[in-house]
Amino acid sequence: MAAAADQIKQAMPFTTRYPELGTGPLDVRPLIDPELFELERERIFKQSWLYVARAEELAEPGDYKLRRLDVANTSVIIVRDRNGEVHAFHNICTHRGNKLIPDQEAQSLGHTATHTLTCRFHAWTFNTDGALRGIARQESFADLDKSCLGLKRIHCAEWEGFIFINLAEQPRQSLVEYLDGMADHFAGYPYHEATVRLRYSTVLNCNWKVALYAFSEAYHVPTIHKGTFPSLARLEHTEIKCFGPHSTSGIYVPPVPGLEPTPVTANLGGRLRTSDRHRPHLELLPENINPDNRQDFQFEFPVFFPNFLLHLGAGNGYPGMAYFTHQFWPVAVDKTLWEGTNHFRPPETVSERVAIAHTNALHRNAWLEDTSTMEDTYQALASGVLEEMVLMDEELMIRNTHKHWHDYMGI
Amino acid sequence: MALLPEQFSQLESLAETWALPTELQRSERRWAAGPDDFRRFYDAMLPVLDQVLDYLDRYEPDNVPEPALPLYRLALAFAEAAPHNELYDCSNTVPNSFDAHRFVAAHGEIRDR
Ligand code: FES
Ligand SMILES: [Fe+2]
Repeated sequence: MAAAADQIKQAMPFTTRYPELGTGPLDVRPLIDPELFELERERIFKQSWLYVARAEELAEPGDYKLRRLDVANTSVIIVRDRNGEVHAFHNICTHRGNKLIPDQEAQSLGHTATHTLTCRFHAWTFNTDGALRGIARQESFADLDKSCLGLKRIHCAEWEGFIFINLAEQPRQSLVEYLDGMADHFAGYPYHEATVRLRYSTVLNCNWKVALYAFSEAYHVPTIHKGTFPSLARLEHTEIKCFGPHSTSGIYVPPVPGLEPTPVTANLGGRLRTSDRHRPHLELLPENINPDNRQDFQFEFPVFFPNFLLHLGAGNGYPGMAYFTHQFWPVAVDKTLWEGTNHFRPPETVSERVAIAHTNALHRNAWLEDTSTMEDTYQALASGVLEEMVLMDEELMIRNTHKHWHDYMGI
Repeated sequence: MALLPEQFSQLESLAETWALPTELQRSERRWAAGPDDFRRFYDAMLPVLDQVLDYLDRYEPDNVPEPALPLYRLALAFAEAAPHNELYDCSNTVPNSFDAHRFVAAHGEIRDR
């Protein structure tokens, strides 16, 4: 018995630090069951804090962002009012319920110069702080209390320029409490300087957790990314730790002797690596990220429960890339909107812009490799043939997410 | 009328098909390219890449004047095409990948200005 425990500890040094997570296999049903998907809407997505916007997307008073949230059957307006305060509202007019702003896109940005939002249907007008401002032909309504007819407010909070919402009537925790140790772990990097956002999206025919889990481990890197990043074949995935439902880890890539960068990568990547603005800025990393100040640091690799990944590389991993994010938005049990965004500091020269386009293209190509397994995985899992999945040590972030998924779901 | 400054006249025929203004248009060109297209582009462009970028760097990235735009677009197309030479054996797809047509560049294109 003792020998077995030792052996498990040796095989799974990270996982065994969290005895409550166990070392056994995970149940597959949460990834394929339509009834559980209906419960997830209420118990996960209407209870947790969801990242919806960067503060720079709403830089000026009057700027707003529209974010469709199919999982909660709603769409959300995040808007900066004339005093600079950010609010979130359901995108619904309080007269007869039309969408205040049409939302064909999954997300879009807009600006209101008048600091008001007017419904197209009968022209009710709201201030950007949510107050109902004007009603056409108000005298024809009986007993109308305008102060009760403001926009339907959603809890909204900002951390390090990341704006989150919480759809609960009364969130169980503040955003910072919810973020747990992640709030400090990632604090202090100048995220706001990386204002160039290159975003890709696609609708994957798979459950959101199939996509999330595929992006939550690096075990796949030597196989899936051997085309685009042969240099990553020996990466090190380490410092894996859990903070409540969230988890984080570090990716390091020791140099491979004899493996030189290809000529265009050497040229364009080299330009970013030697530009003062885009070069590696390890000194800007929060102190517990890359704690040993290793030069081969690639990026910090976390999972923010339930659907947000924030990879912080500070220009040291992919050339010029400050950080990149992923989000997984459930649409149906078998449909997920995936969004991946590369964040760079703005180019000062044309050649920097060309070099950024190159890093971006390589990373997009890697994402094409990542997303290539997800629909296959889902289809196969949906057969029900596999009831459990087994995990290795470095798949710990999946294990942690799955455990807290069960806790949130109460099952 | 030539598209490119005179010192890059050897790239002129490449500019005719690759110098496209938006990321999506350049991607469509890339998806339609054959191995020889990639080879011709790479072999002509790599030796003069530094000169091309030096030439473009006399302009602000958001203010490249009309006559220099084709060269700028060609450089962007090259940044996006070169991985096919260096990593994918001149195939127009990333091996073992998701269908690139289903990936939407939702940032609204890497534009030339
Ligand atoms: S539904 Fe908006 S004004 Fe009538
Ligand atoms: Fe990957």
